Amino acid sequence: MTELRDARLSRVQFFRMMGGLAVAAAATACSTKTQSTGSTGQGQASAVELRFVGVADQKAPMDELVAAYKQAKPGVTLATSFAPTDQVQTSLRTQLGAGNAPDVHVVYPGSGSAMSMTQIAGAGLLADLSDQAWTQTIPTGFKPAFQKDGKTYIYSAGSSVIGAIYNKKVFQEAGIDAPPTTWTEFLAVCDKLKKAGKTPIALGAQTPWVTQLITYALVPSTVYAKDPTFDDKQAAGQTSFAKSGWREAMEMYLELQKRGFFNDKPNGTTFEQQISMVATGKAAMAIQVSAVLPDFRKSAGNPDDLSMFPVPGADDAAQVWIPAGVVVGLGAAAKGKNLAEAKAFIDFLGKQENINRWAKAIAAIPLTQDASSSIDPAVQSFLPFTKDKAVPFMDQRWPNAEVQPVHFAVIQDLLAGKIKIDEALQKMDEAYAK
Amino acid sequence: MTRQMTTTATPVGRPTAAAGRPRRRFAALSPSWLFAAPALVVYAAVVLYPSLAGMLYAFTDWSGIGADKSFVGLANFQTLLHDEQAMDSIGNTLLLTVAIVVVQNGVGLLLALGVHAKLKSRALLRVIFFAPVVVSPVMVAFLWKYIYNPDPSAGLNGLLGLQIDWLGDPSLALWSIAATVVWQYAGYSMVIFLAGLEGVPRELHEAAMIDGAGTLQRFRYVTWPLLAPALTINLMLSTIGGLKLFDQVFAATNGGPGYATETLSTVLYKQAFVFGKFGYSTAIALVLALFVAAVSLVQVYYLRGREVAQ
Repeated sequence: MTELRDARLSRVQFFRMMGGLAVAAAATACSTKTQSTGSTGQGQASAVELRFVGVADQKAPMDELVAAYKQAKPGVTLATSFAPTDQVQTSLRTQLGAGNAPDVHVVYPGSGSAMSMTQIAGAGLLADLSDQAWTQTIPTGFKPAFQKDGKTYIYSAGSSVIGAIYNKKVFQEAGIDAPPTTWTEFLAVCDKLKKAGKTPIALGAQTPWVTQLITYALVPSTVYAKDPTFDDKQAAGQTSFAKSGWREAMEMYLELQKRGFFNDKPNGTTFEQQISMVATGKAAMAIQVSAVLPDFRKSAGNPDDLSMFPVPGADDAAQVWIPAGVVVGLGAAAKGKNLAEAKAFIDFLGKQENINRWAKAIAAIPLTQDASSSIDPAVQSFLPFTKDKAVPFMDQRWPNAEVQPVHFAVIQDLLAGKIKIDEALQKMDEAYAK
Repeated sequence: MTRQMTTTATPVGRPTAAAGRPRRRFAALSPSWLFAAPALVVYAAVVLYPSLAGMLYAFTDWSGIGADKSFVGLANFQTLLHDEQAMDSIGNTLLLTVAIVVVQNGVGLLLALGVHAKLKSRALLRVIFFAPVVVSPVMVAFLWKYIYNPDPSAGLNGLLGLQIDWLGDPSLALWSIAATVVWQYAGYSMVIFLAGLEGVPRELHEAAMIDGAGTLQRFRYVTWPLLAPALTINLMLSTIGGLKLFDQVFAATNGGPGYATETLSTVLYKQAFVFGKFGYSTAIALVLALFVAAVSLVQVYYLRGREVAQ
């Protein structure tokens, strides 16, 4: 022991040792680098790996289309990863901030979210896609969701609608033959279902984004049917949430709760529990976005038992409008190393057959349609509205990312009886003005 | 045993061979510093530099993406003072911290006393009580979300025949989350108390018993004062953990219903990643860090004083 303790390491020896280690480490690093350059740089010029980060909703269509792209262009591979919205938002914003964003990544249409096209393109981080052929066919009504200052920055395969996903079997058992077409009929249907011992509407309000869907389903009828230019007027400060049909929509929302049409304790119920209630027939319907229809079908014993109908937000059927928003899309990183290949992949997605495939995988209405486009039978009943009685999801025109989370929170507070509608709308107006 | 432990615990002087060497002119170049140097360099590059550089963002209006940012002075801190939501979240954070510190350490101490006694299955019990600590907090939150199912026939409600909306009732949600944290970390406090209990000399107990002290008196006058170092560590760790609680809240309620369970950490997360206000978020983080440091220092100062007093 004593010899060991006495064994000295002179300073010079110590530095020599450390220096040796450093040289060895550097040599290893350099040799690794040379190897990787050799295999990709000198070999085939087209051997490119694109990185894609998306949200869980995009997995089904991306899996299918990435496989198709591999066939069409074997030299390019796509490394994809998917996660729930919150996580993607956190990691992607960090990567965008640090300047190492994936080549292709999820982008939300319009403005109103921290990952929305307007915000990311505004920071100069999205590549302009305007030179691609498919961008010329974007329907006029959808342009604000795709374009900023006349340039297209996001690809999306089409639109989804918000309505009631319902269990046809439960409706039949309660003696309901056809979906309601007016608000009074809707209340009567709920009443009938309740008397038949079923929960009329499953509501998973613990999952924040689920809270907004009932107001979104009603506001097109209570606000936009009366004034299609509401968004512009609100932006100009001529109107507000509190002064508009938003109040009526929230009153209708709470009327459903007051009449006992929701499951017990909606604030403690999650989206997954909501799905299970409708899929198993414990509840008759859920007001939801059509993009999650495949999730409901997966949980149901017989997927054909499930269908959708527009929620009638007015007593005059002619005044019923629906929410139809561009589905979550993707864009190419403007400063990505493989920008040309990333844009080529998006161009591939923009082909009509691929728009059709993407739309089919998430039960969406294709952005543009041809003879081979198929529209999910469940959303057929929405088609008569899409031409002139549909409005984009409200948040797509909101000026900042704060209004939407405030909307989630005030709905939870309203359901808990903690605040009144006046306060809820005031908070939303305050967030809008920020 | 005890004597040996005391001896090892006392700081021992350096080996005389080293002390005899006349080469202490450059302390920073001594082998001990040189050996620590690589780790210190990595620590400085990975922790210190980013933390200090990050602080600068608190004085800007950076959105988190893009190059646009301008210096805004103390504007972010002024906003914080008038931010109703952030102020409410401070209240929630303090309530959660107090609940967690008191209950977690109370339960931890009881568990430690229980498994310190001569029980046949105490090794197994120690493992069981400590097991939740090694599970990821997010997993624990998801697990408890199922246990807190509001359905009267499911989860905790089904087990106890209750109809409580554990996470959906704004007046209850915060305490439900505190309960999951206590469930997870009581075992952690237990282990630290247990280490303290192992260090209480048996002779003192024997002496007290000869003097006629009962079980409670022996705990009060022998065990409890000697547990002071363990208590200091436990109180400090649980206070810091409570003040910066994020994972469990985020996974269980995301701050809801409404803003009922919003903590300072969830607010700063949302400001950065949901609202795109990175500068403001950093200002909140800075305030939180200073607050945690201040509370910890006061705690250590007070509790260490108590230890010395014995």
